[in-house]
Amino acid sequence: MSDTPEERMDVSMSINGRTYRANIEVRKTLADFIRDDAHLSGTKLGCEHGVCGACTVLLNDSPARSCLTLAVQANGDQVRTVESLSDGHDLSPLQQAFREQHGLQCGFCTAGILMSASALLEENPHPTRGDIVDTVSGSLCRCTGYQTIIAAIEQAAAESVHDSSSTEDD
Amino acid sequence: MQTIKTHQHMTTPVIAARSVGSRVLRSEDPRLLSGRGEFIADIDLPGQLHVAFVRSPVAHARITHMDLSGVRDCEGVHLAWSGDDVLPFCEGIVGEFAVEGCNPTTMPLLARGEVVYVGEPIAVVVAESRYAAEDACELIDWEFEELPAVTDAHASLAVLNVANSQLPNNLGLKGGGSFGDVAGAFERADKVVEGRYYTGRVSASPMETRGVIAKYGWASKSVQVWSNTQMPHFLRYMLTAYLGFAEQDVEVITPDTGGGFGQKAHVYPEELILPLLSREVDCPVKWIEDRRENLMAAAHAHEQFIDIAYALDNDGRITGVRTHALGDGGAYHAPPWTMAVEPWCAVVMTPTGIYAAPTAEYTYTAVATNKTPVGAYRGVGYMAGTLARECLADDAARALGLSPFDFRRLNVVREFPWTNPQGIVYDEGSWLESIDVVEQMVDYPAFLQRQSELRKKGRYLGLGLSVFVESSGESTATSLEHGLGDVYHDTATVRLGPNGTANVAIGLSAQGQGLATTVAQMAADTLGINVEDVSVDTARSTAHAYGSGTLGSRGAVIASGAVARAAGVIREKVRAVAASMLEASPDDIELVDGQAMIKGVSSSSVSVADVATAIYFDIDSWPDDFEPSLEATQAYDTSRAMFSNGAHAIVVELDPETGFIRFENVYSVEDCGTVINPNIVEGQIRGGVVQGIGASAFEELAYDESGQLLTTTFLDYGLPTMDVVPPFVIHHIETPSKHSAAGVKGMGESGLIAAPAAVLNAVNDALSPFGVVLRDLPLTPEKVLAAMAGGVITTSAPTAEAVGEDRPK
Ligand code: FES
Ligand code: FES
Repeated sequence: MSDTPEERMDVSMSINGRTYRANIEVRKTLADFIRDDAHLSGTKLGCEHGVCGACTVLLNDSPARSCLTLAVQANGDQVRTVESLSDGHDLSPLQQAFREQHGLQCGFCTAGILMSASALLEENPHPTRGDIVDTVSGSLCRCTGYQTIIAAIEQAAAESVHDSSSTEDD
Repeated sequence: MQTIKTHQHMTTPVIAARSVGSRVLRSEDPRLLSGRGEFIADIDLPGQLHVAFVRSPVAHARITHMDLSGVRDCEGVHLAWSGDDVLPFCEGIVGEFAVEGCNPTTMPLLARGEVVYVGEPIAVVVAESRYAAEDACELIDWEFEELPAVTDAHASLAVLNVANSQLPNNLGLKGGGSFGDVAGAFERADKVVEGRYYTGRVSASPMETRGVIAKYGWASKSVQVWSNTQMPHFLRYMLTAYLGFAEQDVEVITPDTGGGFGQKAHVYPEELILPLLSREVDCPVKWIEDRRENLMAAAHAHEQFIDIAYALDNDGRITGVRTHALGDGGAYHAPPWTMAVEPWCAVVMTPTGIYAAPTAEYTYTAVATNKTPVGAYRGVGYMAGTLARECLADDAARALGLSPFDFRRLNVVREFPWTNPQGIVYDEGSWLESIDVVEQMVDYPAFLQRQSELRKKGRYLGLGLSVFVESSGESTATSLEHGLGDVYHDTATVRLGPNGTANVAIGLSAQGQGLATTVAQMAADTLGINVEDVSVDTARSTAHAYGSGTLGSRGAVIASGAVARAAGVIREKVRAVAASMLEASPDDIELVDGQAMIKGVSSSSVSVADVATAIYFDIDSWPDDFEPSLEATQAYDTSRAMFSNGAHAIVVELDPETGFIRFENVYSVEDCGTVINPNIVEGQIRGGVVQGIGASAFEELAYDESGQLLTTTFLDYGLPTMDVVPPFVIHHIETPSKHSAAGVKGMGESGLIAAPAAVLNAVNDALSPFGVVLRDLPLTPEKVLAAMAGGVITTSAPTAEAVGEDRPK
């Protein structure tokens, strides 16, 4: 067995505004660092091949697949995960819209989709349906059939402009 | 036809629907949306070690040498086992189906002597971390002699080679039945239409893979197993039956689960090995499947060929139907369902669908191949059966020059109860109405006009219809009605606290369907309290309510029935005490909106909360001879088989350049009796239909001739993504069952049951100018392009001779 994978390094990064420092194997993925070292288990692993999007986090405000990113690559960076979205009392408007539109069933894909959608809405508060589909088509969901996810993101976008009520997916 | 005697647990109290029927937001959501769900990978036990499996890289081989000493010497490794090491504890899991003509298999926990499919576990390693365990797996020293691989069901049937030495003639199952004068119907037929349909081989692919954690305590001899299983109580029973753990000391815990769809409704070798490993290393052990393993080693699904024929009289009425199913079962019977799960279900469960066919005949054959065992995935057998039946209906309509709607209207059962030739009784349904409604929804004349206009411009639009019946709420009665003897029943425990709020425990584990919310609605209405005042535990532990498994569209029907019965017991106590407090007769008390009131006298009431408080703390308010426990456990099973029904119509457009199918719209009509929560029912429809779209157009577990699985990542195994999925229009019809709580019927599988037929019919409709009819799934761009050039690629094309007797005559 090669020794390289077990080489260790010190890392330090901010996750959801709190600094985490550790000495880790260089081969450890960011996803495993977030889940096992920072004990934030909201970020999920659906494939570990960079395809399903469940592990999506915001790395310096941009969506990143944490299963394909090494933790050491995020050294000194700012990471945001699903745990950062609500204030600890109420769901955020985006989360609430997912709830109202039934945009989740098992919830396993949801963290990744919420993070992709958050990045989209931060960059473009008035996305078209096409913008939403382009962004979120990189995430797989096996339960919902996607339409209610689109509706939820549309609702959150609409509400951020004016307090309008929910829209229907069909 | 055998029917069951009625028992107490088959009747439910009549309730006033308040919360039932409304779009109650799910109680599960805040946790899941905020990253606070607790899935199996999120659970870490102090001192735990990690497990990884070595899996066979070849489809069929004899193991000639196995040495794990290199693995064991590896740093961080605590234990490594091969098949020989695990054998003394368990010989394997028997897969046997209780009908004549089944040859059982025993699936070893780790292969010994022979490996029979790519992905079969051959060794297991326990180490400090998952990284270390996976590293150590690389150091296995083993040699094998490759044997010929059987990768095709028809080759297997011809026994050119043997796939698994346990089945010397490759036959896992074979049988059939004939009802009425089928031969006569075919002899007298004015027309016979027939076809061979192929479903493809797919994976349920829940976003969360499987996972098991086991913790053995030597001092107490207790074993706790965490598994994201759909059948926690059955797993517990298997742990006692196969491993000899003492029943009272075994607990199975099901955490939040990221989808199951049937794939997690099995008992897998991994679930039995982990407790043994924990006992051996005296530490908790954890295994989380990776996606590659999931695609290779978790149950595969659906693969079968269906030969179907209709005898038609000169009015176009179906007078007989013959269905012959040949399932590619993979290398073993997947316990507990076995290879019967596809071909047997396909022909036995619904040979006639919605059609008033007076005679029917079927055969089912399942053969072994050197592929992953085929198990349950949403719509077992029903999907294939519906594909064949509904696509042949379109063939018949074309042959008769009728619209697909008219052919179905001509043949649909119009009077209930209806007994099909096999003796299956359908008590009620909106079979005709669902055809009419979906025709209006798609505005068929307008569609035809648009289709013909676009054709002139070289654009190919198609509309496909699929009308279905779904057996709902798998029960003892359903099992009997289909000739089996399985006994199902589930319990629920309901407790009313001193503040008048309820805790409910059900025996079914949930995989994301929203079961905690739907049964809370049922409990709330039975107790006359608000749904927010009900908290539900879905089979977190086998220490609580009993359940026969979340499968067969049972959840809503069975769990809500058990909850209604248990809540009904509490309700009677609340009524008795309220009557004593209001100086009335218990019979005159109703519980609605948080109040216990004298019927028709709303001024004369006391809150349910006050009654509950009084039962706990105020003995003076009790009637004579009162028993104050406000906790009840009751069982439920349906007294009769029940069936939901509906229709899907799907509009597609074919891209003549690329062969891609663009999905334009889905129109769904669903009749699952009383709808508890429309959001949840619609979610099941959308999710199921999209899985059906996946199975028809995108998904295929592909093997090469040597039995190598070519699709082991989501890059190769293509699930439908947001950009290919169409919007839905959904219509509900409610024809309540007389036999379930509130008239509820199950519907969790109908989307996947019926969508593939709608897709294939839509594609064939679009292809009609080219004079080509496709019958094999998935409809890959290659197949579509070839069809648009006037040719047919049948990936699966077996020769007629190879099937011989199994072709409809
Ligand atoms: S787990 Fe990272 S993309 Fe699937
Ligand atoms: S909600 Fe289950 S995978 Fe998306």
